Amino acid sequence: MSAESIPTYSVRELNNAIGVLLERGFAPRFVIQATASRPQVKKGHLWLTLSDGEASITAVAWASKLKQLDFVPADGDGVTVIGKLNFWSARASLAVQVLDIRPSLTTVLRRFETVKAQLLEEGIIDPSRRRTLPPYPKRIAVLTSVPSSALADMLRTAEERWPLSELVVVPIPVQGDVAPIICGVLSRLAQQHQQLGLDAIVIARGGGSREDLMVFDDADVCRSLATFPLPVVTGIGHEDDLTVADLVADHRTATPTAAMVTLMPSKESARQTIIQRRNRLSESKRWRLEQASARLKDRQLLVQALRPAVGVQRRRDQWQQRQQLLCALSPQRWLNRGFAMLNTTKGHPLQSVYDISPNQQVQIRLKDGVIQAVAKTIQADATSDAKASL
Amino acid sequence: MPRKKSEPSTKSEQDTWREDASKLSYEEALQALDVLLGQLQDDSIPLAELQRNHARASIYLDRCDLLLSQVEQSVRQLDPNTMEGRTLDPSNHE
Repeated sequence: MSAESIPTYSVRELNNAIGVLLERGFAPRFVIQATASRPQVKKGHLWLTLSDGEASITAVAWASKLKQLDFVPADGDGVTVIGKLNFWSARASLAVQVLDIRPSLTTVLRRFETVKAQLLEEGIIDPSRRRTLPPYPKRIAVLTSVPSSALADMLRTAEERWPLSELVVVPIPVQGDVAPIICGVLSRLAQQHQQLGLDAIVIARGGGSREDLMVFDDADVCRSLATFPLPVVTGIGHEDDLTVADLVADHRTATPTAAMVTLMPSKESARQTIIQRRNRLSESKRWRLEQASARLKDRQLLVQALRPAVGVQRRRDQWQQRQQLLCALSPQRWLNRGFAMLNTTKGHPLQSVYDISPNQQVQIRLKDGVIQAVAKTIQADATSDAKASL
Repeated sequence: MPRKKSEPSTKSEQDTWREDASKLSYEEALQALDVLLGQLQDDSIPLAELQRNHARASIYLDRCDLLLSQVEQSVRQLDPNTMEGRTLDPSNHE
């Protein structure tokens, strides 16, 4: 290569040429997944290094942009940066200008685990602290973003389910570095909940990425929720999203709509309850009257049974029964069947040959009269006990 | 037993009950109804009280029914800084 074919630059020209090249050859915006290290604010601007373990580059969020960012990374946080290249030709130095910066999922999950462990240790996350929800809440505070589709869904669900509850909507920001604002609202609401006549609160946010829900992993927000004087229901994100706020709440639901369903009774089942009560009311009256009527009938029968004439008749019947019994047991029955009875002349019955002496007079009683007779001879049986005793 | 209790309930008495019931929430009216239903099924309550208790229970039932037919929800929005509120139109929140 000859010396004439090699371009010659002054330093300034070279730097300018690099600048032009970068400007032409590079996308005006790009996304970088990286780890943020050594973030520090100098003269209002945030400077940090983005690295992936193998390479690194300086990044800067200018003061005007820094005020608008929802998230400021800590050292070691995984981040997703939307940026563009800044090239300073005077020093040929290069930096990524941050247009937006968000925590990566790993950062969010790491913070979730850290705060969860911290609150478990403090006893803030404790299933035994959970309070029961009021069965028929008269007034509910709904803390969410206003306006939002989550709020619209909740209001629609509430109206379908239980219009008797009054709703008090308290607007809160639900994304970004807004934990102090949420804590402030919770604190003011806790102080005034009695004046406002609240029975429970719902804190809700519609779906989004898990990273967008990071404020609900904030330790102070979670402490405020856990110590709130009324039952707290969370409805944050989608079905699969779990935040630390869900763990400290008295009841966690998967979505904002589900929060309203959980907290409010069903109008339809209440209607069924009323139908059942109406049936029970008419049944109970009929049952009481039937009971009273049956009891009256019992008394009537008793009074009937206790009449004097009935008593006399009963005694007469008893007398007749005894008379018949006596008749059945009478000796006359035996005489009628052909048997005879022997008595002494004094009327004592003769039961043994030893009760009489020869030539003694006896009476023979038959069914229709008496024969006076004399015992001529007396002969005892060979097996007679009486004889044996003699 | 006081004679008054065995007399049929008067119109003014029912009006008083209705007025009292109108101040009750759904839950309170349902609780009052359940107390009366329990008494109606209890043998110890005199029969003369049956009609009165039944009439009163019907008033609580009607109150619950009326509340359930309510369709419009009251929605207020509070200023998160002052906790002072204003009534909102529930159809305009998206």
